[in-house]
Amino acid sequence: MSFIRIALKNLLRRRLRTVLTLCGVGVGIAAFVALVGFSRSFEDQWAKLYESSGTDIAVVQKTFLNTFVDESVGEKLRSLPFVAAADPVIVNLMDLTPEVNALVYGWPANSFEMDTLTLLQGRRFHDDQPEVMLGEVLAENLGKKPGEEMDIQGAPFQVVGVFRGGSALEAGAAVLPLRELQKLSDLGGKVTAFHVHLRNGAEGESDQQRMQKARAEIEAAFPGLKALPASVRARNNQLVVLARSMAWGTSVIALFIGALGIANTMAMSVFERTKEIGVLRALGWRRSRVMKLILIEAAILGLVGGCFGVVGGWLTLRILAGLPFTASFVTGSIPPLICGEGLGISVVVGLLAGFLPAQRGARLSPVEALRYE
Amino acid sequence: MSDCLLEGKNVTKHYDEGRIQALRGVDLAVNASEFVAITGPSGSGKSTLLQLLGGLDQPTSGEILFRGHSLANSFDLDSYRSRRVGFVFQAFHLLPTLRALENVQIPMFETKLGLREREAKAAELLREVGLEHRLQQYPNQLSAGERQRTAIARSLANDPEILLADEPTGNLDSENSAKIMALLTGIQAKRNMVLVIVTHESAIAQLAQRTIHIRDGRISS
Ligand SMILES: Nc1ncnc2c1ncn2[C@@H]1O[C@H](COP(=O)(O)OP(=O)(O)O)[C@@H](O)[C@H]1O
Ligand SMILES: [Mg+2]
Repeated sequence: MSFIRIALKNLLRRRLRTVLTLCGVGVGIAAFVALVGFSRSFEDQWAKLYESSGTDIAVVQKTFLNTFVDESVGEKLRSLPFVAAADPVIVNLMDLTPEVNALVYGWPANSFEMDTLTLLQGRRFHDDQPEVMLGEVLAENLGKKPGEEMDIQGAPFQVVGVFRGGSALEAGAAVLPLRELQKLSDLGGKVTAFHVHLRNGAEGESDQQRMQKARAEIEAAFPGLKALPASVRARNNQLVVLARSMAWGTSVIALFIGALGIANTMAMSVFERTKEIGVLRALGWRRSRVMKLILIEAAILGLVGGCFGVVGGWLTLRILAGLPFTASFVTGSIPPLICGEGLGISVVVGLLAGFLPAQRGARLSPVEALRYE
Repeated sequence: MSDCLLEGKNVTKHYDEGRIQALRGVDLAVNASEFVAITGPSGSGKSTLLQLLGGLDQPTSGEILFRGHSLANSFDLDSYRSRRVGFVFQAFHLLPTLRALENVQIPMFETKLGLREREAKAAELLREVGLEHRLQQYPNQLSAGERQRTAIARSLANDPEILLADEPTGNLDSENSAKIMALLTGIQAKRNMVLVIVTHESAIAQLAQRTIHIRDGRISS
């Protein structure tokens, strides 16, 4: 008989309680895998989006809350010698129908980012026209083809093109002429950011040096704005930061509840087994061995719950990836890393939750415990 | 005194912050391979004395010596309990979730024995107590006599020099009592162990080489 077997047999003694505890941990880990997995893949999609668009630097407001940049900045940016292109963008999240929620971009028709989209049907929009281009997934979810009309926030738009982009975010997005989106969102003269494409650097200058120099000069020229490398902007834009903190916040609460479940179960179990623990100690088991037994039981609860949780979280993501409301941001594939992390966290949660009950059990005096009825 | 294995010197034990004086100055010496019975009325302190001899607890004052070493200081009580002493209880105290073969292995987790060796040794011990056909039974599938045999096999797991039994036949009928006593005395003789048995049955006390009477926490004869 192995040591672990003793622990397993103790857990099987109260099956219903064990299963309920596993459910608690499982929900916590499922929340972690689904939410944090979602926020990571969301983040990855943003990174891909910036990578494929050719943006080197994003110029945005320094403050987190006031996030708009004056459109006039564009002129001055373009006049800098190292800037090849500086195009304004607006990024917004909108309900296009009660069920379909999508990222909506506003670009000028001649934005350099337009070149990274592959048109599958139709044409590009013209500036200042109520026209919209749809990502292929969004077009399918809405059931719209070029030539058809659609309503965006109460205003009529004509679908003029369907495109394929470099990331899931574009596949589920809509692109409008910048002015139209400014009108829709009451943002006259303001944009979310400027996306800057740099000229090739001088001989012998590394990309990094070129980037550093450009950022420093832009920030010097525009106090109040910051120039972020595209990769940083991708991972730190408000939507990603919001998704990440909501994911972690919710997961931590769910994991905490799961941990309380384990702690409660192990405390009850130690209490019920007072006499048995006294026997183990009387037979020569050290305090540390009693402690180890209880900690292993708690860790098993964590790990097995964690396995259910990983599967549950993965299924949840798969389901989200299929729903029109969320399909635009969720890819359904989760990074394998998150499963490993989920299992690791489940074991740590089990050990932490089991610590106090284990200590209580280990501290029992053999004589008192044996007399316990 | 050279033969003296286990010794108590002016041992007292108080419970409940002195409100209960279970032992009030006990002196005793047990020689190697000796069989001693402790008798006395209920509540006289027999179990308390046996627990102190077995290292389950510390005396309030006085000391217990094993081979001349005090159990009070430096001496590692856990390893004393697991290596030197086997304990048999009136209520058997087997773990309900474990089979007989598994129960016997419990003390072996404090040794370096591997999984196979633990199993082989436990099977051997159960054969020694006549339970070779009951290895895979759970305690609730065993008779009272069989449970006590399993507990005796468990007490021998780490080949102790001392076997302490607290009313080992207290939960058994007379037929099983006799069998268990025959088993214990047989083991004591074969293994050359110290056997200290607490009992209030004079028939059992008579089997011992020496009987110690306790009354009100003192040795009375
Ligand atoms: N752990 C304990 N806490 C408090 N009182 C105890 C404890 N153990 C024994 N006693 C008391 O000490 C006295 C002696 O008990 P015990 O040694 O069990 O006697 P015996 O085994 O001879 O019946 C009794 O009054 C008993 O109630
Ligand atoms: Mg007693």
